[in-house]
Parts: sequence; C-alpha cells; structure tokens
Amino acid sequence: MTDPVLSVDRVSKRFGRHQVLDEVSIGVRAGSIHALVGENGAGKSTLMNVIGGVVRPDSGTVTLDGRPVEFADPSAAIRAGIGTVHQEFSLFPNRSVAQNIFGRREPTGRLGFIRWRALRRQAQEMLAEIGVALDPLTPVGTLSVGAQQLVEIAKALSLRARVLILDEPTSALSEHEAQHLFGLLAGLKARGVAIVYISHRLSEVRQIADEITVLRDGRVARRTTGDASPDDLVGMMVGRHLSDMRPSRQAGPGNEVFAGEGLTRHGAFADVSFAVREREILGFAGLVGSGRTEVARAIFGADRLDAGRMSLDGRTLAIRSPRQAITSGIGYLTEDRKALGLFLPMTVRHNIVAASMPKLVSWAQLLRFCAIRAEADRYVRRLDIRPADDQAEALTLSGGNQQKVLLAKWLSVAPRVLIVDEPTRGVDVGAKAGIHRHLCELADAGVAIILISSDLPEVLALSDRVAVFRQGRLVTILDQAAATQETVMGHASA
Amino acid sequence: MSFQVSDESAVRKAAPATAPFGRTPARRPAGPGGRWRALVLSREAVLTLLILVVTTLLALAEPKFLNPSNLLSVGTGMIYDTPVAAGMTLVMILGGIDLSVGAVLGLTGVVIAMSLRSGVPVPFAVLLGFAAAAGAGALNGVLVARFAVAPFIVTLGTMSIARGAATVLTSGYFLSGLPAAYVEIGRGQLLGIPYPILVVLALLAVFGFLLKRWKPLHDAFYAGHNPAAASLSGIAVGRLVFAGFVTSSLLAALSAVFMTSRLAMGYARFGELAELRAIAASVLGGASFAGGSGSILGSALGVLLLAVILNGFVLLKFSVYWQGVVSGLILVVAIALDASRRRRFEAR
Repeated sequence: MTDPVLSVDRVSKRFGRHQVLDEVSIGVRAGSIHALVGENGAGKSTLMNVIGGVVRPDSGTVTLDGRPVEFADPSAAIRAGIGTVHQEFSLFPNRSVAQNIFGRREPTGRLGFIRWRALRRQAQEMLAEIGVALDPLTPVGTLSVGAQQLVEIAKALSLRARVLILDEPTSALSEHEAQHLFGLLAGLKARGVAIVYISHRLSEVRQIADEITVLRDGRVARRTTGDASPDDLVGMMVGRHLSDMRPSRQAGPGNEVFAGEGLTRHGAFADVSFAVREREILGFAGLVGSGRTEVARAIFGADRLDAGRMSLDGRTLAIRSPRQAITSGIGYLTEDRKALGLFLPMTVRHNIVAASMPKLVSWAQLLRFCAIRAEADRYVRRLDIRPADDQAEALTLSGGNQQKVLLAKWLSVAPRVLIVDEPTRGVDVGAKAGIHRHLCELADAGVAIILISSDLPEVLALSDRVAVFRQGRLVTILDQAAATQETVMGHASA
Repeated sequence: MSFQVSDESAVRKAAPATAPFGRTPARRPAGPGGRWRALVLSREAVLTLLILVVTTLLALAEPKFLNPSNLLSVGTGMIYDTPVAAGMTLVMILGGIDLSVGAVLGLTGVVIAMSLRSGVPVPFAVLLGFAAAAGAGALNGVLVARFAVAPFIVTLGTMSIARGAATVLTSGYFLSGLPAAYVEIGRGQLLGIPYPILVVLALLAVFGFLLKRWKPLHDAFYAGHNPAAASLSGIAVGRLVFAGFVTSSLLAALSAVFMTSRLAMGYARFGELAELRAIAASVLGGASFAGGSGSILGSALGVLLLAVILNGFVLLKFSVYWQGVVSGLILVVAIALDASRRRRFEAR
C-alpha cells in the first residue's frame, strides 16, 4: 500500500473544559475515500477544521506528503492543496458560476480588467473535467443546492487540491444528486485525489468509502473498511453506557395534552404526527438537521406551519406567533441560549420574568415590582442559581446557571406543554443533573414535556417514549423498553 | 439590525448592548452603601454635574447668562428639542434610529400653517398636522418592522421625502399670518410659565414613568437588547417597533406645533438638524446604538446640556453658524463614549 498523502498524528484539541479531540490519528491515501463517522459532538468537525487550517491543535501534527505542516489560516491550507467543502456553502449567490470557481484569481489583462472570455473558457474546462454540465455564466444563487455543491467542489479542485474534505455533502441533496456526486467522487479518486468524507449516513459511507474511522467522544473508536455492517458501525459510534441514572418518577402518564397531526413545513419537515400526555416526557431524538428543532419552532409559532393540525386538551389550536403559543400554554426553551434565549446585559431578575410578565402586571399593565422581585427570588432559590443574586447581569453567570435562568423563565410561565431544546448543552455535570431533576419534577407535577437533545443517553434516561427523526420525518416512536442506543441510532441514521 | 414581525427567523446576532433599564453600566458595587454609589455614578447624576459645571463657567465668563430673560430663552429653546429627543430615545431603546424627525417637524408645521391659512379651524388643522406626521412614522414603522429594512436607510429616505414635500408645498416661502387662537398655544402662559414648557414637563413625567413601569413600553428594553429572544418570550416585537416610530413622529409634530405657534409661521426648513441634536441628547442620556438602553430623564438632561452650551456660544458672541459645528462635535464625542463603553462590555 502507498503511504498516506495526508496524515494526522495524535492530534488533541480542547475547548474550555471539553476535550474535543484526544490523540486522534488518521491517514488518508491518494486515490481513496476515507470516511469519518460518529455521533454529534464526536469531534468530526473539529478534526476537519484542524486539517483545513481553521483550528489549531493543542498538540499533535498534520503531515502532508511526508512533511509536517502548520497552517496559520484556512487560506494557507488551500495553498498547500487541501480543499474543504463545508456544510454551509461559501459561495456568492449573485456572481456567476465562473466567478465563484475562480474567486479573486480571475484572469486579468494588463490593466487589471477581467478577461471575461478567458474566464468563461477556463471555467468550462474545469466543469467539463469533472463532468458537470453547467453554464459558467449562470448566477450561482439560481442553481439548485445540488448544483451549488458541485460548484463548491469545482472551486476546491480549481485550486489544485490533492486532498478534498467534504462535510456532510449529501445532507441537502436529493437521492439522484447524491448518486451523481458519488460518480464524481469515483472519478476524482481515479485521478489520485485523497478524499476525506464526513457523513452521518452509514449506508452511503459503506457504499463509497475505502476506509472508515469511527470517532467517539474525541477518540478514534475503531478503524474499519467499507465492509463493516451498519449494526457494527452504530455499535462503534454509540458504544457508551448510560452515564446518568434515571431520576425517579412518581406516576405514569395521564391524559393526552398536546397532539400534532400531519405537521409539515416545506423544506424542513413533513407529515409529523405525535401526541404527548400529562406527566410524560417525550424525547425527540435524531441527528442535527433531522428536523427536531424545526418542528418545535413551528409548534411554538416561531415559524409557519404549511400543513397539519394541532390540539391542546382536545381543542383545536391555531398558533401564529410565540405570543399566542404562550397564552395557549405552550413554552419553548431554545437551543441557542445566547442568541435566542437570554437578554445577556439584563439582570437575572428581568430574564426570569421576561415571558411571564403578563401575570406580574396590574390591570392597567403597570409592572408590579414587588411581585416581580418575589417571583425571580423564588426561582433563583428553587433552581439554586448562583450567584444567588437576581440583580446580577445574566452574562456574568456560568453556562449552567444561564441555562437554569432560562429554565426558570419557562417555569415562571407555568405552561401545560414545555418543549426543551438541548437543555443541557454546554453545561457541566452538576448543573446537568440538577436540570434533569427539575424536568422530572415538572413532569411529575403534570406538565407534558418534549425533550429535544443530541445527547442520546440523556434522551434515553429521561424519556418515557422516544420519537426518532430522520431527514425531516418522524420515523418511529419507541417505548422506553424498546429505546436503546442501538435502536434509536439505527432508525436515525439508516 | 433587522426586525421582523412574528415570523422571527432572522436573528440579530446579539450585539451585546449596554446597561439594563436606562442605568449606566456602573458596576453594582457590593456591600453597604452600594446603592448610593450607584446613584452617584448614574448617568443622570454625571450629566447634572456636567450641566452645573458648564453653567458655573458660563455665569463667570458672562454674567448676563443668569439674567431671567436669558434663562427663559434657554428654557424655551428646550421645548422644541425635548419632545423630539424623547421620541428618539424610545426608537433607540428599540435598537433603531430615526433620522426623519427634523423633516417631519418641518412638514407638520407646513401642513398646519397651510390648513390654518385656508380657514381650517385650529383643532382640525393641528389634527391634520399630526395625521401627516403619523403617516410618515407609519411608513418608517412598516418598512422597518415588516420588511426588515435598516432603520438608518428607511428614515433617511423619509427625511428626504418629508423635507422635499414641505418645500414643494410652500415653494420655499414662509407661511405667516397664522390666527391668534393658534399663536396662543405657543405664547400663552399659566402663572407666568409658557404652555409649551408645562406640556413638556408633563410629557417627561408621564413618558418617563410609563417607560419604567408600563409593560407595553417597558417591553421595548427586551426587544432592543435581543429582538429574537424577545419574540420567543411572547413580545410582539414588530408591533412595538412600529409603535416606536409612530410615537417618534408624533412627538416631532408636537414640537412643530410649539415652533409654528410661537413664531406664528410655518416654514419648510423648520427643524433642520433636530434629528442630530436629538440623537446627541439621547446618547448623552444613556441610549446606545446597540439598543436596549436609554432613559427619558437622561435624554432631557442631554437636551439641557446642549441648550446651555449653545446658549453660551451665543452669549459669547460666536456666530450662530457655530451651532451646527458644536452639536455635531458633541454627538461625535457622545458616540465615541458609547462605543468605548460597549467595547469594555464586550471585553468582559
């Protein structure tokens, strides 16, 4: 076998207290496809960013053609021959295909004017080389996502990339477009390009990869080949034991509180039906981008539903804004605490009462300061928010305490249905256990809870039932007994 | 920045702003006496001190400054700027800016003067003026709240439209000869105090109170700090922004009534640079371009400081044309302070 073109040797990276990569090594050979698989947060993206010069490793080396390299920034990596196609495209929608491919390297005449004809011809050659039939003068914004993907790849190759990194390239593609992409990749392989392929979709990974590296919790869990069975791969990806004990719960679920039928939002999710009962925690599992958050936002009125019916306590619900959702008795704790949840420069007190203010004002809508203070105080103590000072600005709190403030905000509203989206993201172990306990208490008190989380053990530990999402569809709802890491991952990434 | 009505998919990346609830970000000092120190360090206290210093210096340099007639002229100078500044403060708390207020002031004055001269009774003429102003504010509000256009651009356009319309309507002439009943609004007195001063004081008290205590207005702080989070907390951000721009225009119309009635004429160029002085006063008073902060009392003190300084220039026999230079300078300094305050915030 040939020596790898690109090798990563014992690379480690730490973000804060979180060890994202722990002595990871991989080697990618010329003319082969090397797949990286793993759960959300396993370290795939960070590894890609290390190779692409976006992130500097704390230790370890990246070797290209046998020479150790250290990239100061992404453009240095590109110059060295490493092309990256990110999940989010970096194209200019108003510029033509040709201009996007060549960027600032447009052929110019002596006075710096662009030589359009040469630009067009070179772009055409580039596209023909990878077997893509696109008019080089079309504005990129008018192309389908699949075609844009091809433009991204052409752009990377125009820089003479010998290593091509693709991050979830098929997540936005139709089946047909995906097959076309695989054909293109096979052609590149034959030309000796080394391809790093990151994907959640195990079936396609098995179809195209020569080698597979499974990452788990920032470490290489296993190296294997395309022959590995899907079950094996899932097992390698999750292979963890439930680290949290399930907090004890009192009574079983009661009457149905909320039901959604045929919920659809074009381009995000389709035909999602489920019901959640009193005293029940319904988990929403699935990969990032599978539509869980989008469903929650649509139920809450933050995005519009294109079709479907919702009911609360048997009565039909029509929700057009978060305001209506809150008055109807639905709460939504956002996954993005800083951008969408907190008012960072404001005090903890004002954050806690932000959504429950309507019950803390007089008949003339005048704020009742005493009631507001008492309400905030109550939740600071109940959730043990530290510092125990409701006049502290929210931005001075730790991540765990900020998350508790958000939870307090929704507890203060006292909804019938509470949707919590990634309630323990970026939170330390102590705060996490506290939040789990509060969610269970809330369920015991009769609230119907929908728990969205990418942390599978968390979903399994807390949920009475688990709804599994895949590519915008609710695939199945598993009972607690049937829901294991393997079954859920199997449904989520088949 | 962008506002959207209920479909809150656009997220303004929380440009972290400044202090909550109109107080300066003076760190709350721990321990006993903390509240006193916070009060002493508050934006309003600092401004008051500054005003006292400038007043003292002026009085020493030019004793005429303390003449009752001069003090009254400082006071009446404030009646035009204060309502505009109060409206600007609301818009800035919401994270926007309203450049059209000066032009709306001019247009409103022209509409009222023309109506009066064609025989419309005083109350209806005033109503017509307010309607014109509300129209301009509604245009601003709809474009910003519904179509998510940057407030700076929208109000720049409205400014040009309103000023242009006023000039077209009057062909650039003064409209004098307004009826005595109308002039009485601006020149009439109660216990020796001109009506406009009484109205402005009442406005400050009511508006200041409502902003602090009335939920619908108080929500502006949430909406200004983080519109996306405010929307997800059940606050109708779009409606609030719309109301903010309409209010700002209506307050400019109030100034127009004072100005045209006191001067007994309408003129298309009334209110020129009023937006600039209003922004300067609001920023001096604690408002930030990042939204989420500002106070009515602070802005009123900002107007007073500007008025005293400009009066000083007149007394010290500088040309009136220095006014623009001075207000501009004060605005730039205030903005620089705001920016450095925000950098400190972000560094934390």
